Amino acid sequence: MRTAKNLFVACAALALFGLTGLAIAAPALAEDGQGEALFNLCTQCHGNAGEGRQNLEAPAIAGLPEWYVTTQLNNFMSGARGTHFDDIQGMRMRPMSRSLTGEGDVEAVSAYVASLPIVTPARTLDGDAAKGQGMYALCASCHAIDGTGSEPQGGPPLIGQSDWYLLSQLKKYQAGIRGRDPRDTFGLMMQPMSLTLPTDESMKDVIAHIMTLSGESE
Amino acid sequence: MDWIVQASTYADDVDGAILLITYLVGFWFFLTAGLFFWLIFAFRKRDGVEAEYLTGGEQQPKKFITWAHMLVLVCDVFVVIAAIQVWVEIKQTLPDAPETQTVRIVSQQWAWSFIHPGPDGQLDTADDIKTVDDLHIEVDRPYIYELTSRDVLHDFSVIAFRLKQDAVPGRVITGWFQATKTGEFEIQCAEMCGIGHGLMPGMVHVQSPEEHAAWMASKSNGAMLAQAGR
Repeated sequence: MRTAKNLFVACAALALFGLTGLAIAAPALAEDGQGEALFNLCTQCHGNAGEGRQNLEAPAIAGLPEWYVTTQLNNFMSGARGTHFDDIQGMRMRPMSRSLTGEGDVEAVSAYVASLPIVTPARTLDGDAAKGQGMYALCASCHAIDGTGSEPQGGPPLIGQSDWYLLSQLKKYQAGIRGRDPRDTFGLMMQPMSLTLPTDESMKDVIAHIMTLSGESE
Repeated sequence: MDWIVQASTYADDVDGAILLITYLVGFWFFLTAGLFFWLIFAFRKRDGVEAEYLTGGEQQPKKFITWAHMLVLVCDVFVVIAAIQVWVEIKQTLPDAPETQTVRIVSQQWAWSFIHPGPDGQLDTADDIKTVDDLHIEVDRPYIYELTSRDVLHDFSVIAFRLKQDAVPGRVITGWFQATKTGEFEIQCAEMCGIGHGLMPGMVHVQSPEEHAAWMASKSNGAMLAQAGR
């Protein structure tokens, strides 16, 4: 009988201790390192430093500004992006955005992504940067002449982004796979712009110029 | 099993097979567990009584166990017959009624996409309707599905239909369903397919013929407007 009573007390103590432990841990996570903790999921495809992984078709996200990451996460969550039948990569990203259900999750992970140092991407495409420089003038109106982007114009930075990803997105915009949803304000602006680069060659030339802005050397 | 909504013609048959197995296995489970505990109690340690160790080498003490084994085998026959009947109905036959329609279900990490026939009732024509996450079908109409995967193994599972079918990359898997209730029913992926496995829900919208026609019309208009704007 005495043993049974001792066992009961031990179980009760364990339960109480466990609950207290949880209560202490939850707010601690919310205040410190929430973004970093959430970023763990992103690393599965985007890499530990957010440098992107081409074999998984996941772009570099390190150093993207907070406003842009927040906008895109919200687009994925609402279905404004990643719900086109042919957007295979976008549909992979969409459920990941849906995992950010806690209050302040989107803001926290966006801030953490923005805090990561930009990774200089390796070049994977051919293209004539000199030819591309002229055509980039139109892009510069939103993405800035040095490719650092402009929040008021809704243009994200292009420096630090992989060339294969830039090409894939230009093609998606042209095909109407991205930038057709009325809720995707900046995407709607980009869609007609993409049509000013009608050939693969012209797209690769512009991208080659963007790669020089990234400080990439062959 | 009315407490889990049954919304397809074969839902009740699947439940019947599951219940049959539950009752048979449950009977033997409680019987053997009861017997086991009774034996423990009845033959508990007593002063002056020595334990007897049965090696299993003699037939006589095993007589009652053999009888039980045979009865379990007879129960197995019932289970196998019921399971084969349901299997043949759901997996081995396809509806051939003239009103049968075909839809394509495309699985991928981590989403469900669908190709519905448009107003002409045929796939691979200009009025096909492509959607992500949402499958729209008519109530009381048989549908054949062609299930594919763009990447890894998935499993198209609609609990309300009692339907579960693996999607295998490189293969087109054909099956069927016929909804019996209007409403919205969840689609789950029932095959572990990567980190987003738990985050790829979809929805089947079972509509009356009028609602379905209205939905198709809205999609056709949308498609035409989108093309005009391009």
